[in-house]
Amino acid sequence: MNILLMILSAIISLVTGMFFLGLARKIMAMIHWRYGPPIYQPLIDVIRYFHQRAVSHGFIFDLGIIISLIGSLLVVFFLPLGNISSFSNSGGLLVILYILILSPLGLALSSGESANPNASIGISRKLILTLSYEFVLIIILLSLMSQYQTISLQEIVMLQARKVWSFASWKLILPGIAYLLILPAMLGFRPFEIAGASQEISAGPSVEFGGKYLALNTINHGLLHFITIALFVNLFLGGGDLFGIFDSISGTFWGSFVSLIIFLIKMILIFVISVFINAVFPRLRLEQATKYILYYPLSIAIVGLIIVVAIN
Amino acid sequence: MKKLKDKIEDLFDNVIINDFYQNRIFVKTNKESVVSLLNYLKELGYDHLALVSCVDHVEENEFELVYILSAYIHNEHENQEKTNIIIKTRISREKAKFTSIINLFENAEPYEREIFELFGVDFVGHPRLKPLFLEINYETPPFRKDFDTRKFVDDFFANIPIIEEIEDEK
Amino acid sequence: MDRNQIGKWLRSPQKMSNKYSLHAVYFCTGCGIIEIPPSITTRWDAERFGIIPAPNPRQANLFLITGYVSLKTLKAIIRTYEQMLEPKYTVGFGSCPINGGMYWDSYNTIKKLDKYIPIDGWIAGCMPRPEAIFVAVTHLWTLIEKDMATGYIKYRKNYKQYRANQEKIYGSLDWPPLYK
Repeated sequence: MNILLMILSAIISLVTGMFFLGLARKIMAMIHWRYGPPIYQPLIDVIRYFHQRAVSHGFIFDLGIIISLIGSLLVVFFLPLGNISSFSNSGGLLVILYILILSPLGLALSSGESANPNASIGISRKLILTLSYEFVLIIILLSLMSQYQTISLQEIVMLQARKVWSFASWKLILPGIAYLLILPAMLGFRPFEIAGASQEISAGPSVEFGGKYLALNTINHGLLHFITIALFVNLFLGGGDLFGIFDSISGTFWGSFVSLIIFLIKMILIFVISVFINAVFPRLRLEQATKYILYYPLSIAIVGLIIVVAIN
Repeated sequence: MKKLKDKIEDLFDNVIINDFYQNRIFVKTNKESVVSLLNYLKELGYDHLALVSCVDHVEENEFELVYILSAYIHNEHENQEKTNIIIKTRISREKAKFTSIINLFENAEPYEREIFELFGVDFVGHPRLKPLFLEINYETPPFRKDFDTRKFVDDFFANIPIIEEIEDEK
Repeated sequence: MDRNQIGKWLRSPQKMSNKYSLHAVYFCTGCGIIEIPPSITTRWDAERFGIIPAPNPRQANLFLITGYVSLKTLKAIIRTYEQMLEPKYTVGFGSCPINGGMYWDSYNTIKKLDKYIPIDGWIAGCMPRPEAIFVAVTHLWTLIEKDMATGYIKYRKNYKQYRANQEKIYGSLDWPPLYK
């Protein structure tokens, strides 16, 4: 049963990730007053990448992209998607925090092996950015853990369904705002698009990727979109819960289905907001981005943590 | 205060000055006094070398080098004129050679390299006199008037064969 | 997607995905690059057909050579073309790559580009309007569907001739041969 759930959650995350990539392009096009590509355009691109000849730069180059993809998939297994959860009742937030760093590290391995100067610039930017937002993320998770007195993500989701969503409770609104502020940085969207800046450093870490490597990288990109937003929805918007309306059918097949749909709708809402932010902002420089993250989201998160700890 | 034209005429022989246009002085001089003239004008405050150019007078068998000077800052108190000074000199076309003014104006470097490359004028004292734009060597420098471009195109580009398809070997 | 295309997708996903996902190289040769910004932005919106400018040659499969090719640019064009991954398509844009155009007697401009790299299609005109790009793309779709856009295979097969022509221009090239 667990294996079936794992396969199911992997399929859901892959499909939703690709859908998010297409949705981002479509929404960006509509903001530019264009028709834009069909929403399945990233799928066409990935099929094309898989059919092209690929140039490898050695064993580490192959390994790094696979580590990156597996790291992203592992995080998906530890996330509850509505009522579907393969591993999320064990491990919890600490494991997620631990595996979340695997994906940038894998990318760093393979782009370091490719020895392209643009890739080195891109990956150093990405790692510095990751370090700064990971710091904020730890403090946000600490305040949630001390509020709910648990490290299990599933329990946090259930407690929210029983009481009130974290984002609606006055104690946890500050960590929620801090998470929203670092969300574009975690997604790699503008104004934090410094790692994969396509005009400036030729797509940064993925500059030497072509063929199937680029396909895996694109899939990984979609997965990262999925993970970041799924984590936010689980932590702050109550997962697959909608004010307890569908509590009567919980536990059945239709209950899981409905909760999954609600979960995905919440994710799409958050994603569309971040695409809007992506569409209107220019790109920051690295030190501006780091300074921003370490000033505003970090101070908001720390104040939130102090409030939670003082009340408890 | 004397006018600039009179000053130059006092100091240098062999100069023909034409100030027919407003804010523009044409100074024609022989090739020996160009460097000292440039030096003198630089001390007067005309410290901006805008351009070094070359004209090919193929009938007279001579190159004409053109230096255009102007001033960055116009000093009103010393009654300095807002003038572009255009200095022209003729050198021989056979084994064309001239003194580099890179010690005087550093920004003359790319202009002199360009003239060396496109006209074949050798600038004595230039530290890096190597091709700037062109990828291949031409027998005659291509901006000279006696360089026949159509003949060159016929000889060079037209001689490169069209790719012939190889039939599949089975 | 048209419903009658589903069969084609199932039969040959490679061909169909090559058709509908043409990523062009950002390579500015000559004046034709002026026609590219309107065609990829709001006015003509090439992204409808899946055409976007790719940030680097490794991720691209369409090479638009937009304008005259000087000897210095030809070097960069050859290197960019060899970096692209197969299958790749090249389109000569404007009359300059076809026969030199207004630079037909210039000492420093390539006259016939297909002596040095294979070209799958030409867009004639000086300059062609952005609509011509879309006409060319639809022609390229037809060529891909009929297996006629085989410039990269031709390059591999006749590499010795192409390399000889390239070396005839420069004397010697400072990179090793792509194929043996």
